[in-house]
Amino acid sequence: MGKRVSRGGDLGGGVWKRQKVTHEAPTSEEITTSRQLQQLLAFDQDATHARHGLQSFKLFLDETLAWRRQNNADNVAILKEYLQAVKPTSEGEDGAQDPEQQQAVYLPDIMQAWAFAYQTSNENLMSAVPVVLALLLKLLSRSLDMVPYGLGICRTLLQKRQLELVSKNLSADKGKAFIVSPTLRMLREAMALDGGAIAKPLFRARASTFKSLARNMGIIHIGDEPEMEDRPSTRTTAIYFFLCALKFLHPEAKRELLSQRDIVAALTRDIKQDPIHLVLEMLSTFRDSILLDDKIPREAKGNLFNVSTLVRISSLYQYRQDPDSTQPSVADAAHEFLLAACTRPSGGILRQDTGLYPRDIDPDAVLPTADIDELGLDAMPWMDKYKSEVPVRNFVLSNLLQNLRPWSSVKQNELVTAIFRVAPELVASFFFENKSFTFEPKLTATWIGYAAFLFNTVLLPIPEHFSRGSGFPQLPPPISVVLGTILPLPLTQKALVRCLTSNSKLVSFFATRILVVAIEKLDAAVKMHHADTHANKALWAEAARRLVDEFCQRIPGMKDMIQAYRSIPEEDALHREAGSRLLRLCYTVIPQVALLAKFDVSPLLDASLGRLAKDEVEDPKDFALGLKELENLLAIAGFSPGMRWFSASDALVGLAPFTVLLRVCIDAPSGIALEEIFRVLGFVAAEQQVVLSRKGHPGLLPLVEALQGLSRDMTAHVWPFLDNCLSRCAAAPVKYLEAVQTLAEEVDGLEADAFISPLIATMLEQLPFVVKAGDKDLLAALGKFLPKFLGLSATVGESKPLLDGVYSKISQVLKEGQAKLTHKRIPDAVAFKHNVWPLRDKATRTTDRPGVGSKNGKEDTAMDAEELEGALSAADGLTADHSALTKWVTKTADEIVDDGHATGLVVLLASEHASIRQEALVNLQKMAAKVRESEYEDKDQVWLLLSELVETARAHNVAAAPLPSPAVAFACHALRVLHDPLSSLYAKVNGFLMRGPVWNLGQLPLVDEILLEDPEVGDSYYAQVNWLLGYLVDALRTPQDLELFHKRRQRGPVLQRLLALAANPYMRLPLRTQLLRLLYKATGIEGGSTTLTTRFGVVNWLEEQEKACLEAKEGGSREPARLYRALRGRVWQTCDRGRVGLWSKGGVEELCQGQEALQPESMDVD
Amino acid sequence: MSTQPTKTPDADVNSEFTSYYLHRATQEFAEDLDKVRTAEDFKNDALNVLVNALQQGTAMFSPEEQRRVVESRGAGGSKA
Repeated sequence: MGKRVSRGGDLGGGVWKRQKVTHEAPTSEEITTSRQLQQLLAFDQDATHARHGLQSFKLFLDETLAWRRQNNADNVAILKEYLQAVKPTSEGEDGAQDPEQQQAVYLPDIMQAWAFAYQTSNENLMSAVPVVLALLLKLLSRSLDMVPYGLGICRTLLQKRQLELVSKNLSADKGKAFIVSPTLRMLREAMALDGGAIAKPLFRARASTFKSLARNMGIIHIGDEPEMEDRPSTRTTAIYFFLCALKFLHPEAKRELLSQRDIVAALTRDIKQDPIHLVLEMLSTFRDSILLDDKIPREAKGNLFNVSTLVRISSLYQYRQDPDSTQPSVADAAHEFLLAACTRPSGGILRQDTGLYPRDIDPDAVLPTADIDELGLDAMPWMDKYKSEVPVRNFVLSNLLQNLRPWSSVKQNELVTAIFRVAPELVASFFFENKSFTFEPKLTATWIGYAAFLFNTVLLPIPEHFSRGSGFPQLPPPISVVLGTILPLPLTQKALVRCLTSNSKLVSFFATRILVVAIEKLDAAVKMHHADTHANKALWAEAARRLVDEFCQRIPGMKDMIQAYRSIPEEDALHREAGSRLLRLCYTVIPQVALLAKFDVSPLLDASLGRLAKDEVEDPKDFALGLKELENLLAIAGFSPGMRWFSASDALVGLAPFTVLLRVCIDAPSGIALEEIFRVLGFVAAEQQVVLSRKGHPGLLPLVEALQGLSRDMTAHVWPFLDNCLSRCAAAPVKYLEAVQTLAEEVDGLEADAFISPLIATMLEQLPFVVKAGDKDLLAALGKFLPKFLGLSATVGESKPLLDGVYSKISQVLKEGQAKLTHKRIPDAVAFKHNVWPLRDKATRTTDRPGVGSKNGKEDTAMDAEELEGALSAADGLTADHSALTKWVTKTADEIVDDGHATGLVVLLASEHASIRQEALVNLQKMAAKVRESEYEDKDQVWLLLSELVETARAHNVAAAPLPSPAVAFACHALRVLHDPLSSLYAKVNGFLMRGPVWNLGQLPLVDEILLEDPEVGDSYYAQVNWLLGYLVDALRTPQDLELFHKRRQRGPVLQRLLALAANPYMRLPLRTQLLRLLYKATGIEGGSTTLTTRFGVVNWLEEQEKACLEAKEGGSREPARLYRALRGRVWQTCDRGRVGLWSKGGVEELCQGQEALQPESMDVD
Repeated sequence: MSTQPTKTPDADVNSEFTSYYLHRATQEFAEDLDKVRTAEDFKNDALNVLVNALQQGTAMFSPEEQRRVVESRGAGGSKA
């Protein structure tokens, strides 16, 4: 380092001492003319004079800037005159600006003074010049006609000589703020002049104009007092200059500026200590000039919005601001900025992630099918890899998140969840990296904030398709990552159990709510795993199972959840609602966990009903909330086979839950929606056969409407009677169905399908006891209620004559009790006033199951395999009993035929043992002879049948193979016909026997005769078809038998013609069921279902039958529809799926899968 | 089943439901809330956090469920 050279005079003693800087106040004078101004500013080598002039000019400018427009006209005129006078002469009149003219020097005296300041090291002058120029430019920018002077001055500043001075000023010592700050102000004014007209060249000269900017940004205000707005620090001035540049520079220049790391770093380094106005201006400029400027490349924005900047801006959440300040909140502004910056895709911060798929995996990788089949999810080596960390694309946001405290501030909570929403990959990773925080319950503000944050996180939706693509990727996302978004890591089973069982109700409430939203989210995730569009369905299904399993291991056991619900005080409606909602969700979404625990919902339901039935609820909203809890419990009851709907409960003052539920609905405050509860009531009533479940019948509606028509006092009397009737009817539905039939028999000329509700029969039965008891109030109430109820029953389509019959009986009974009905007969066309009838919605509420949403628009529950077997499996009519070989010998001819000895023997022809068959053949021959020799009335026909059978068996060589089942079955069924000469088939069977001694085993006897020919005997067509189907069911036992059914024939295969029978709209249910039995049997034969499907399109046939059944006007039971659907499922289960799938291109599978999917549910709820 | 009264706009329903929810929550958890207020870390934004935490539970109720609760205004029985 060179020796410092003294620039001053004699310092005395020769010893260098730092000179004490003294700022002598400059003198000044008032300016009244431009001439005076010109003289004052004329260059003078006397620094004192120079300062005097500049100071006078400064005061003049200050004054002019401070005055209002009308008062400063004189000053402006003086200034204008001065500027005109000193305007460089080299500039042409036309204002053309050639390079030479660019060199024209404006205010040459001032510029010379500035240069002189450096020649003489006069710091006061170094400062005074930019002070004056900054003020002058500020003033000139206000007036359009003076802007050209300003531009001229700016161009002068851009000349090499002045740029050097600017550069020197800017890089003055750190302590020389009085030199640096005015220079920055001057540059800022120059930058902003005329809408940034000179910004570009100013930036081009950045080596000088932006000199030491980063350093200058670091010259902060020092002192105990806060920085005053009218005395800004160098940092403040520097940043304002920089912000001004951002506003007026073009995108490319901004990109260049943002790449200056030192400037970017200095910009926000002390932001927490910066004055409010500066911070607000910074945030606003960052947003408007960078964030929202789509012409700036993302990378350039990213240079500014790096982790440090974001963390520093996030520190503004704690910015100290006077709460009474009228200025906008810095914390709010920072929050708004961060929200926009972190979530805007073009903001330079957010990077496109791949949803729940970590950065380093390819979700569309094609795995060998063999691997998938063999290894399942293990075929993906990464499936279990992400248990403690997940690589993410958004590392900037990830780092920012680690610096936020979402539990301590609502805004930070909002910011973090907003980031999670746009970058779902960060959810799991955030909790992996933030392990220090546990969810151990503690009743503090921090714990509550954390619970709120977790709740918001869980509430976030799962990204569509788990990724960003327009469809699901080939492979499912890692389970740990999905689970991490559903049940974030801090939500451990241990912590959740402790929360649920905590002494603090609030803690338990918060944990319950989190679990509710978590299970709902799990449900959504599982449904996405089961979407139809997955290519690897099995793989996705396995992932869904694993997800559910792992979820179940992380949540508290069902017992804990039930216990937590039980321990909620009665009056805590909100908490109870949440608790019951949690249990309901467990039953619907994770029944495998829910059903593990023994849970009798009855007492809780009773308690809930009891609360609602009390008349103490003050706020109707509380009542509505209580109803919501009740709905949840009712849904759970739907899963609870032990629910005792019609048993009197002590908790309900001796009434049954069903009655109390009805009462709650009837007495509910007006305006409360009760659809859900009425639906449950309707379902239970229909299931217990208290009301009719016919299509088009509204179930409980007439009863509800009748009760609603009574005053509250009157219904109060009716409830015990109604409860008694409902309980009795539910306990013995058959008894009252029979009672209805008995009543029907007493009425003449009834239509065949006349019906009334069994409950009416129960009421009729119980009425005498009421009369006997002599409760006058009840009798009076019934006098009004019963006509209304019966009238409404007639309105909804129950038999009017039958109801009239009941009404007259009721009338008589009441008369005995000296009571009377309000009407002499059932009122006609009683209208519904409280309810809508006819129902607008086709779906009847009588068949909906509580707690189980209807699927695919089908309202019935599915039938399981066992139930289907029970309904359609026919006993084998050809069961072999070897004792038949000997038993018949001692019997008489009529015993042989009437008691079934003959059929027993015939059956043995189909035995699998050759010796038995041969022995049976010999015995049949003997039997035929015995019958013929007997006195038996139909001996000839029986002999003929047996003889023909023997001949046929011989021709078939029964020793080698069993006689085909059709022949055996026909013989057995024909024998029964011959036994009954009144049978409508007697002639046809005899006609068949007369045709020849040997039967054609390639034919199914009598099929054509019955299906095509005249039945001969009256209207016996259906009886004959029934017989035919009965024998054909027995005839179908082996694949060879089935061949006869689908063999091509002149009139089409037999099975095809049988299926066509169903097109007959008059064919009744028993016959249709018989046909279904035949099909069911075929499905049990090897290849049967495949043949049925590929040759006869039986799946579509079943579907059509089901539809027709559901649409049938006659209504009634939905049993057949369920049968059709269940049988369709069985066809799919038993067919060659590969072949059928190929044949139908997946259509059959699609039709039948719905059935399969329904089955487990039906088993769960039944 | 019964005919519904004129419908209130969704925003009103939400705001009324939130206010009801908060009222109920403060009633049910009054004791615990007092304890939280006296906790050491109850400062700065804690009150806002607490209120926000309580009312976020309204998200569990669908707009329809909120409407059902809010619109059950009529006092007394349906045929009082």
